[in-house]
Amino acid sequence: MEEGVQVVYNVFHEAPLGVPIAIYFYMTGLSAGSFLISTMAYGLGMVKYKPVGKIGVVLAILLLVLAPLNLIIDLGQPLRFWHLLFYLQPTSPITYGSFLLTIYPINCLIYGSFMFAGKAKLTRLFGLIGIPLALSVHGYTGFIMALGKARALWNTALMPTYFLVSAMVSGIALMILVVIIQGLLFSPDHKINKELAFDFGRMLGFTILLDLFLVFCDMVLLLTLDPEAREAAQLLLSGAFSTYFLGVEMFLGAVVPVVILLSPLTKRRLVPVAIAAFLAMVGVMAMRYVLVIGGQALPLA
Amino acid sequence: MAKEKRYAMLIDLRRCIGCQACAVACKAENGVPLGTWRSWVKVIEKGEYPHVSRSFLPILCNNCENPICVRNCPTQATYARKDGIVMIDPHRCIACKYCIASCPYDVRYYNAFKRIVQKCQWCNHRVDAGLLPACVQTCPTGAMTFGDMHDPESEISRLLANSPVQVLKPEKDTSPQVYYIAADMAAMRAVGTPGEDEE
Repeated sequence: MEEGVQVVYNVFHEAPLGVPIAIYFYMTGLSAGSFLISTMAYGLGMVKYKPVGKIGVVLAILLLVLAPLNLIIDLGQPLRFWHLLFYLQPTSPITYGSFLLTIYPINCLIYGSFMFAGKAKLTRLFGLIGIPLALSVHGYTGFIMALGKARALWNTALMPTYFLVSAMVSGIALMILVVIIQGLLFSPDHKINKELAFDFGRMLGFTILLDLFLVFCDMVLLLTLDPEAREAAQLLLSGAFSTYFLGVEMFLGAVVPVVILLSPLTKRRLVPVAIAAFLAMVGVMAMRYVLVIGGQALPLA
Repeated sequence: MAKEKRYAMLIDLRRCIGCQACAVACKAENGVPLGTWRSWVKVIEKGEYPHVSRSFLPILCNNCENPICVRNCPTQATYARKDGIVMIDPHRCIACKYCIASCPYDVRYYNAFKRIVQKCQWCNHRVDAGLLPACVQTCPTGAMTFGDMHDPESEISRLLANSPVQVLKPEKDTSPQVYYIAADMAAMRAVGTPGEDEE
């Protein structure tokens, strides 16, 4: 039936959500990931992660202060941003997000200040409170996509989980780089905590595998669901976004790091692990880009 | 007296000649900026010579009964009036553009001059003054009908009761209130990236 159909005239409006939104998703993901790793040490008592506990919370706060700036700059009416907190729409994920983006960094600040003051019990308490907050602050961005019902690439129940798993990927990868940079530049004897880096490397490898599994589930459904979904899948697999999706997100950002991080030859060598971590971070940024920009690339009318 | 109004629109494509007069009238009436449209006529061709045809599909906001934009707008700037017209409060809108991203019909746009989101509101300023929307008023073949569905004697009520009608993307569960008679499936379907040939 589609054979021989030609669109002679139609209107396509400019895609509403741009690169700042993709960067925003990336930054909240990194923030949530760093925070969760920080709480593994100070909230859940896994002592081996203590060396990155403090820097983790500092990064979480920095990223979460910068992240919403992307959103406010992107508004057509930046000075009206306060409308978000005063005129509420209980069915809109952005309404919930506005409050999460306010509460989460405040909790991070409290948690961090107790950590630096050395008050273990209070640190633990606010660390534990922060875990659901961190999950929500990034999980809700998944709902922004999932409830954008018009777009085949977004409208899936997998989206919040997919966002959280990719947030963990970028967060763990960031921690590997942090451990290395911390060791090289800031430790008294310039020694890198290799065991910790390799431990994170293994964790990163398995998290990327989980991420790949989710992408696989998503693809299978997209290819079989309906014409719109199939178009979206083809856009990623062979269309305009295939370089970003297959090349950067899948191959460089997932397959290569998994091979490096899980193969016995390279998983205990610092340089390959550092490269894998860097690639994983690039891959997650590509994922945000493909999802936000690619999701809007198909015509709706 | 009468029950509350519930507006709807019906477009009879057997009468549409694809002249785009509705699109022009809309632009003029509402001051729609260059590069954006509140309503337009999509035109497709199908078949191969000598068996070819052209189909038209006027597209505008469906003023849905169950609008995703209203659900997703974080500031309630977009809201539905009791008579069914989906409105945008120009002072409330922060232009986060999430409504544009959520709308399955691509009928919303960002007005870069007013820095808010806008869309077809069925010319609510005209309707409230007892006039017809500009597109309906202008349509030279009388293909467009606008009126109150709650009034059983209105033209739209009788047409809706007596004709086989379609709406765009019913699977999105938006309950669109722009109905079509004899819309072509190939025109209603939004498959195919602009500028790229079908495989």
